[in-house]
Amino acid sequence: MKRISLYILATVALVSLAGCGKDFLERAPKLQQTTEIQLATYDGLNGATLGAYYYLGSTGWYTCDRVVENEMRAGNGMKQSFKNSGRATQGYNWNYTADATNTTMWAYCYFTVAMANNVIDNLEGKADGEDVTDQDLNNLKAECLFLRAFAHFENVLVFGQPYTYVKANEGSLTDAQKLGVPYVYHTDPTAKPARETVIDTYDYIVKDLLEAESIIDPKYSRAGVADKLGTVNIYTIQALLSRVYLYMGEWQKAADYATKVIDSGKFKMWTAAEWPEVWGAEVGSGEVIFEVYGKISNGTNGSWDDISYLTNPEGYGDPVATPSLLALYEATDVRLTDGFRTDAKNESGYFWTAKYPGKGDRSPNDVNNVIILRLSEMYLNRAEAIMNGAVIDGVSGLDDLNEIPSHRGASTYSVLNRSNIKLERRKEFAWEGNYLNDLARWGDGVTRADADFVLGTQNQNVEFPSYRWALPIPKRELDLNENLVANPGYSNTK
Amino acid sequence: MRKFKLFLATVAILLAGASAFAQNITVKGVVSDEAGEPVPAAGVLVDGTTKGTVTGANGEYTISVPSNASLRFSSIGYKDQLIPVNGKTVINVTLSEDATKLEDAVVVAYGTVSKESLTGSVTTLKSDEIASAPVTSVDKMLAGKLAGVSVSQGSGQPGSTSTIRVRGTSSITAGNEPLWVVDGIPMMASDFRQLAAVGVGGGSSSTFLNPNDIESITVLKDAAAASIYGSRAANGVILVTTKSGKSGRARFTARAKYGVQQLANDNNLRPLNGLEALEYKRTAVINAGKDPDDPTGSMYFPYTLLENGTSNWYKELTRIGSLQEYEVNATGGTDKSSYYSSLAYHKNEGVYNFLDFQRFTARVNADTQLTKSLKTGARVNLSYSDSHSPQMGSSYYINPQFAMWHPLPWHKVRNDDGSLNYNISEMSGNNPLGVGNDDYNDKEYRLQGSAYLEYKILPTLTFKTTNGVEFLFLESHQYWSPEGSKAGREATAFNIWTTDIRYTTSNTLTYDQTFGDHHVRAMAGQEAMTDTYKYLYGYSPGVDPQIPYPTTAPAANDQVDYSLVEETLMSYFGYLEYSYARKYSVQATLRTDGSSLFGSNKKWGTFYSFGGSWNIANEKFMKPVSGYVSQAKLRASYGVNGNNNISAYRAYGTYASVANLGVANGYAPSRPANPELSWEKNKTWNLGLDFGFFDDRLTGSVDVYNRLTTDMLLATQVPYTTGFGSNTKNVGSIQNKGVEFLLDGILLRKGDFLWTAGFNIAFNRSKVLDLAGNEFLTPSDSRIDDATGVRITEGRSLYTFYLRDWYGVNPSNGDGLWWAEDGTLTNDRTKARYIYYGSPEPKATGGFNTSISWKNFTLSAYAQFVAGNKVLSSNSYVDDGYSLTANTSTAALNYWKQPGDTGVTPKPVAQNPGVYHSLYSTRFLQDGSYLRIKDITLSYNVPSKVLDAVKIKGARVYVSALNPYTFHNVTALDPETGPLGNIEIGVHTAVKSLIGGVEISF
Repeated sequence: MKRISLYILATVALVSLAGCGKDFLERAPKLQQTTEIQLATYDGLNGATLGAYYYLGSTGWYTCDRVVENEMRAGNGMKQSFKNSGRATQGYNWNYTADATNTTMWAYCYFTVAMANNVIDNLEGKADGEDVTDQDLNNLKAECLFLRAFAHFENVLVFGQPYTYVKANEGSLTDAQKLGVPYVYHTDPTAKPARETVIDTYDYIVKDLLEAESIIDPKYSRAGVADKLGTVNIYTIQALLSRVYLYMGEWQKAADYATKVIDSGKFKMWTAAEWPEVWGAEVGSGEVIFEVYGKISNGTNGSWDDISYLTNPEGYGDPVATPSLLALYEATDVRLTDGFRTDAKNESGYFWTAKYPGKGDRSPNDVNNVIILRLSEMYLNRAEAIMNGAVIDGVSGLDDLNEIPSHRGASTYSVLNRSNIKLERRKEFAWEGNYLNDLARWGDGVTRADADFVLGTQNQNVEFPSYRWALPIPKRELDLNENLVANPGYSNTK
Repeated sequence: MRKFKLFLATVAILLAGASAFAQNITVKGVVSDEAGEPVPAAGVLVDGTTKGTVTGANGEYTISVPSNASLRFSSIGYKDQLIPVNGKTVINVTLSEDATKLEDAVVVAYGTVSKESLTGSVTTLKSDEIASAPVTSVDKMLAGKLAGVSVSQGSGQPGSTSTIRVRGTSSITAGNEPLWVVDGIPMMASDFRQLAAVGVGGGSSSTFLNPNDIESITVLKDAAAASIYGSRAANGVILVTTKSGKSGRARFTARAKYGVQQLANDNNLRPLNGLEALEYKRTAVINAGKDPDDPTGSMYFPYTLLENGTSNWYKELTRIGSLQEYEVNATGGTDKSSYYSSLAYHKNEGVYNFLDFQRFTARVNADTQLTKSLKTGARVNLSYSDSHSPQMGSSYYINPQFAMWHPLPWHKVRNDDGSLNYNISEMSGNNPLGVGNDDYNDKEYRLQGSAYLEYKILPTLTFKTTNGVEFLFLESHQYWSPEGSKAGREATAFNIWTTDIRYTTSNTLTYDQTFGDHHVRAMAGQEAMTDTYKYLYGYSPGVDPQIPYPTTAPAANDQVDYSLVEETLMSYFGYLEYSYARKYSVQATLRTDGSSLFGSNKKWGTFYSFGGSWNIANEKFMKPVSGYVSQAKLRASYGVNGNNNISAYRAYGTYASVANLGVANGYAPSRPANPELSWEKNKTWNLGLDFGFFDDRLTGSVDVYNRLTTDMLLATQVPYTTGFGSNTKNVGSIQNKGVEFLLDGILLRKGDFLWTAGFNIAFNRSKVLDLAGNEFLTPSDSRIDDATGVRITEGRSLYTFYLRDWYGVNPSNGDGLWWAEDGTLTNDRTKARYIYYGSPEPKATGGFNTSISWKNFTLSAYAQFVAGNKVLSSNSYVDDGYSLTANTSTAALNYWKQPGDTGVTPKPVAQNPGVYHSLYSTRFLQDGSYLRIKDITLSYNVPSKVLDAVKIKGARVYVSALNPYTFHNVTALDPETGPLGNIEIGVHTAVKSLIGGVEISF
């Protein structure tokens, strides 16, 4: 009997040992990083920071839509029947509803924000004073603060009225007309954030960028990537600050930050001779401050949806340059002679942008770097700021303005004024996706000649102000988040 | 593993220590059974003491006892007999078989109960019903036999598995297969095969079990019966009990069978022969406005194409399959120990070339009474299977089921020199017979073992611990030879190793007491399970065909993949049962399960059930009708159980590496954390009535149930501001309700003549109640990429077809016509409206069986039916002449020929711009009802007079026809489909078999 009792005791003991371990029910995946583990170490956070640049490279954002859609809306681009796959139509007609709006951009911006927040919220205590210093952590934080600010900035440009308009009309606009986008600081799966005002959204953007500027090591640049200009350094932050302040009408600050970038000596104006070769380069040089690095192997590679195929006359080729845009250039201007191309047989009479010729990874659905910030913009930002009263010692606004045509084989200006700045910005940044934002902040509407509106069906002219300058918030988001307020003017909102 | 080894070692030592007692003599006699056969090793015990002896090999015993004592004679499987000695010196005893005891006891979760006190809805199959049908695996045998248990085969491939649904489909994203519990241990019942299983759709595999080893199968259907399995009970539970040994000298049974098989094709569908195909093509070309006799045209189909003869691809690619099975088993034992052991071999060569399945199984079940209060035993099953498949189920031209419909008959299987013809453009340079050079092979090794120890602490209180291990090793090998296709591809080897190891411990304390009219049974238990799955995959292109192993492939080309999945489960459970005067019973069960699969906030879930029954037949007021009503019992139950059948790690937020900025070491969130992830819940009530008339000559039952699935796991849209677009959440609900009816009767019993029959039918209706805001969902089936034409929509049957609305053929010109959105007819497919139209869920399922025996002959038959379901058949290969290069089937011949023709397919037009054959239209939706005769068996038991002479105890010879005929109207080889109602291209359809066999026991 004793033997039996012992036996039973032993069995029970074994069973208990097998079953009652404290972590018995914890089985984490070993082949994938859990979020917890990813964000637990410096190396993991470093990888997560690199990953946070991911969506910039998607066709829903910079490697196509962000550029093409804005050009189509701004009157630089148009459709035609020579090459018509049905693409690039929505922006051309300003045909947006809550069901059909720029949902992808909204999503990718917030995905990027979440990725940045995951890093920012987990940096504390990860320095060991030896291999990982506080500065290492600050550099990651600066990258993520930049990306957070940048993503919100991109979204408020699409879904909010221009800052300058809201600021000037604070007393007369309705609450809904003043709304920007939710500013998300922490990843919370249950959060239903409300929209901030445009004014507050910009304030938060500036605050993040200023913090990033103050903590980043001025010599820091992310190691191990194929394109250093695809990641954040101090000049990226300063260049974006210049743009943000310019868009806010904070002229002195816009000029100051432009000056910091120009005076850094890290960037150099392309000459007219260099200019044709800079598009389609493997990595940016000269003027490039920040760009999206295109690569076939990128997880976001859009293949046939990449901008290089859509703007290729031998590809989909839907969007061509408007006659109005082409007419702006002098015949000797390298931006005309080398900035546009015709179809292979030169039979259409249309011109396609040549800024995305493909870098030769594959043909015809090639890839391209897409430039986000470059030196020319700093000069033009400063020129515009000075014209509006900013003062930089020893700097002439007209010289800044002429810095551009003098490097493009074009005539220089004799006067610094709004129309010259407007003209030069349109010519210089055509097909880079920014002219629409200039029109918005200047309060200029879009006026399109009939020749620019081939195949157009509605909204040939879009006056300013109009509700159309803030695209509808996606209905899906309105449905899922009762704290979001729809943009006024659109019919099928909640 | 160490725990298990130690346990086995301990059991072995204890076994060795156990021995019998012996005593001196005063009473002697012989113990025999009703047939006069001596019963060896029967227990002879002085009643009320522990003194006793056992009978010898010839049933004789001698024992010394006080003359006023009583002797208790006992043997496993017989009723005890108590005989006062009263001074007698010779006591001969005849033991009668304990048949009633076996019949009344029903195996249920964690024990057996008398049928009288059962409160839940269970349905049972006994060994004789199991063994009589010569099927390959247990799951197949369940089809049509159990009310409310729907079994669809989905594939006629040897070694294929089944899709089993108990009372409908209850989940969209979690699994729907029932839990299999074999001898008290929940088993891995999924098909692990990596290569041979392509196209074998079902999720329940029991090929590792020898059907003849099974004593009984109980299916627990409602919450009262199943809820004690907690988070795994929602889809029902299949309890399999294997045979225990019977005491006595060793008895052997040997079985052998052999059979032949062919494709079931009862509507005689086939590819067109040479002349038919040519004339069909010519008609299509002429209708397209071209000249088939114009050699310069692109549609040149002259009659001369037939001059060099044609091939019958259907015939060439199919063959007569064969099936053979050999088995020997033995059982025996003493009054304290018994064993059952079997060894079986099964081989099935398929009806397609290079398709086969072989299996060895070996089982030892042993039990021994160590002491009066201590019992131990073990159940060990070993199986090995070896499957080859030429990619059955795939839409590749090497799959003969798919391929045979494509080649034009004048493209021949072989060249004139006898070599295989690969020069067939419509087969992309393939020839299904070329697969003979390739290899798609799975070798699966499985061990399932469990050992128990049972300790009767008190006569009313029993502790039992059962510890099991299940081990699976699967070696899969795929080889592409350079000769296998026209292209002369690179010799490539794929090697996959899969292992799965599962440990289970189950420990219970059971209390069972009767006080007068009161009977109480209670149990408390604990279980734990760990399961580890690993997978290692190697892809080696460019191996040396002479040495087709990874070693000869350039190392730079090798690719390796790896998978690891771990799962644990911890449970505490119990039940309480009370019955009074064999009239009233109540029962409650409770289980709490903790699972590694779920979120940190929802690790544990609690499940319960209540049930009650009232035995009306035992009431006094029923006395006057007791001559007619022999059984009448009302049952009612309600309970909540769970479905944890989801992939592991879904609760964890994860990061995955992403490639950007020219490097691959960035990381991006791939899934949000979901600490609230939990089980789907099933709330079921059940009302049942069991009845019996005329001394149980007619018995049956009716059950009504309602099963509500809530907290369904669905991908739910979340605001993008959270960083994700969707997250899996416990939302949504569906309902299944139904009625089941079961009737068994003895139709005629006269002298040597016995005629019995049985019938069961079940009606289940599903309804989607809440999809958490999703307009609709599609069933996720990665293999067919949701291209099922089936939608899940609120307010409708769980699966409802959503298809283009086909009107028919325009009688005036032979064009196809659809209904457009505005209610007009259109021949433009893009304008066709989509409509919800019918469900693949049957309105009724069930079966019949009957058996007639006369003297030593028995003729038995059973049939299965499915009624009122819709199926979408792409199996007819009708394309209205669209393709110039592919053949079509005989279903295409009934086409429009002249104005006024109705009930026809559109007129054939080569490269038909209308594309009327586009599958997802109601045109191809058909009534999927069928009645399948599953088995007709004629058997003959050789009379003992004949056998005695050769010292054989029993012999049976039989001949069976399996699936001999199926009544259906579906344009396909066979109408049987999975739950989504898609008769898919390329899936191996059902086969019919003719089998003969012998069984000899000695």
